[in-house]
Amino acid sequence: MFTAAGFAKTWEYIDLFKQGLVCTISLSLLTVIFGFLLALILAVMRLSNVCPFRFLGLTADGHLREQGFLTAVSRFNPISFIATVYVEIFRATPMLVQLFIIYFVVFGGVDIPSFKLFGFIRFERFLPGVVALAMNSGAYLSEIIRAGIQSIDGGQTEAARSLGLSQTQNMRFVILPQAIKNILPPIANEFVTIIKESSICYTIGVQEIMYAVTSTKGATYRIAEPLIIATVVYFCLTFPTSKIIAYFERRMSRGDKR
Amino acid sequence: MATRDSLIQVSGLKKYYNKGAIKALDGVTVDINRGDVMVVIGPSGSGKSTFLRSLNLLEEPTGGSIVFDGVDITKKKMRNAEGKLVKVDVDQHRQKMGMVFQHFNLFPHMTILDNMTLAPIQVKHMDKSAAEEKALALLDRVGLKDRAGAYPIQLSGGQKQRVAIVRALAMEPEVMLFDEPTSALDPEMVGEVLEVMKQLAREGMTMVVVTHEMGFAREVGNRVLFMADGKLLEEGTPEDIFGHPQHPRLQDFLSKVL
Repeated sequence: MFTAAGFAKTWEYIDLFKQGLVCTISLSLLTVIFGFLLALILAVMRLSNVCPFRFLGLTADGHLREQGFLTAVSRFNPISFIATVYVEIFRATPMLVQLFIIYFVVFGGVDIPSFKLFGFIRFERFLPGVVALAMNSGAYLSEIIRAGIQSIDGGQTEAARSLGLSQTQNMRFVILPQAIKNILPPIANEFVTIIKESSICYTIGVQEIMYAVTSTKGATYRIAEPLIIATVVYFCLTFPTSKIIAYFERRMSRGDKR
Repeated sequence: MATRDSLIQVSGLKKYYNKGAIKALDGVTVDINRGDVMVVIGPSGSGKSTFLRSLNLLEEPTGGSIVFDGVDITKKKMRNAEGKLVKVDVDQHRQKMGMVFQHFNLFPHMTILDNMTLAPIQVKHMDKSAAEEKALALLDRVGLKDRAGAYPIQLSGGQKQRVAIVRALAMEPEVMLFDEPTSALDPEMVGEVLEVMKQLAREGMTMVVVTHEMGFAREVGNRVLFMADGKLLEEGTPEDIFGHPQHPRLQDFLSKVL
């Protein structure tokens, strides 16, 4: 299976792995940044209270109608609906399918400027990779954010609103400062997941770590050794990251028991 | 009883769940006058908390009206002086109704002082130093001035509830609503909270109190309401209610709790 000669041969292509590492890290970082921004927008959309047909639920003198079809229509929130559809579709379909649709279909007819990041990453493949990963993780991250906000005891909102704070002020001063504590650890864990999932981008030719494995395999006819190296690199990337997260998680929960 | 100005007129208040299958409130009509200390008693599930929470719209009633300062706050819209339809601003009305909860609902991520100044600064746009000065004066009244810099978790239950009361008072409400303020307290802490409430009553604050403390109802209340199954079954002075209960449900209830 593994031979010393095989490793020696693979080692000649170690630069490919170094490049793959740089590519994986930049892919993951950009994904988590754009994914988080997208997730914030989605979470705000899902928790929004925009009901354009609200007037249909009111009687002529301004009372709320008790029930019926018009009441249902008056509660319809198109903003939240769009966000929900987005999240459900992206969580219910395979990452690979999403990646291929974005690379071949969405970006298929678009001319992306082709230049090389850091002198080797082909931007016209890197960009669709980032977009697909960010759109996918945005759906998951928005659920994390939403759950974090909804995990705050309803009594907090009641207290804030009974003091006369508006819904926006309640979010800003009362709910979000508490929710962020619950949200940060799972977001950091999602980052670890993204590092691992970014490997899928080798299928569209992004030169990350798995791409280095297949290239080395093609040149040396060795598969076990490149895979071992890839495993070690991924592990060295994700294990310390999750340990650092766990450390911060412990520190934050200590703050609770002040 | 001498005629006093009526502050809140509740009429035919209804709150139905499951399309009327559950009637938490089934047509409650009552006038709350300025200076009233109205105590609401009744078995659990009788709708007394729902009634109290409806008063500042933490529960949206299914029917009936609540007229506060001349405005029906159960309506989404009202006619202003020129006869134009304008939005009823619930936040504005909530500022004038202080609310104290069973579980205190202090904001755990803020110091006691910040808990108290948040709404005056954000909602009433007071400046910080004035709001803090006022908060400290209020804290002094309940003997907690030296805990201003502490976080809620460092306080005992009784202290938290005293802070919650003065936090509501900092907004200078016209009426204070108490939702079982002593039910979550250890027995030895009930007294200190009731003492603060008695003091408030002596100062002429309009209060609506849902409680199981019959002693408080008898001693401090000037009107007692007995509710069961979402209905207001009996209303009277403490002497009437406790001395000469008329309704069999009330007689039964009192025989169990006294």
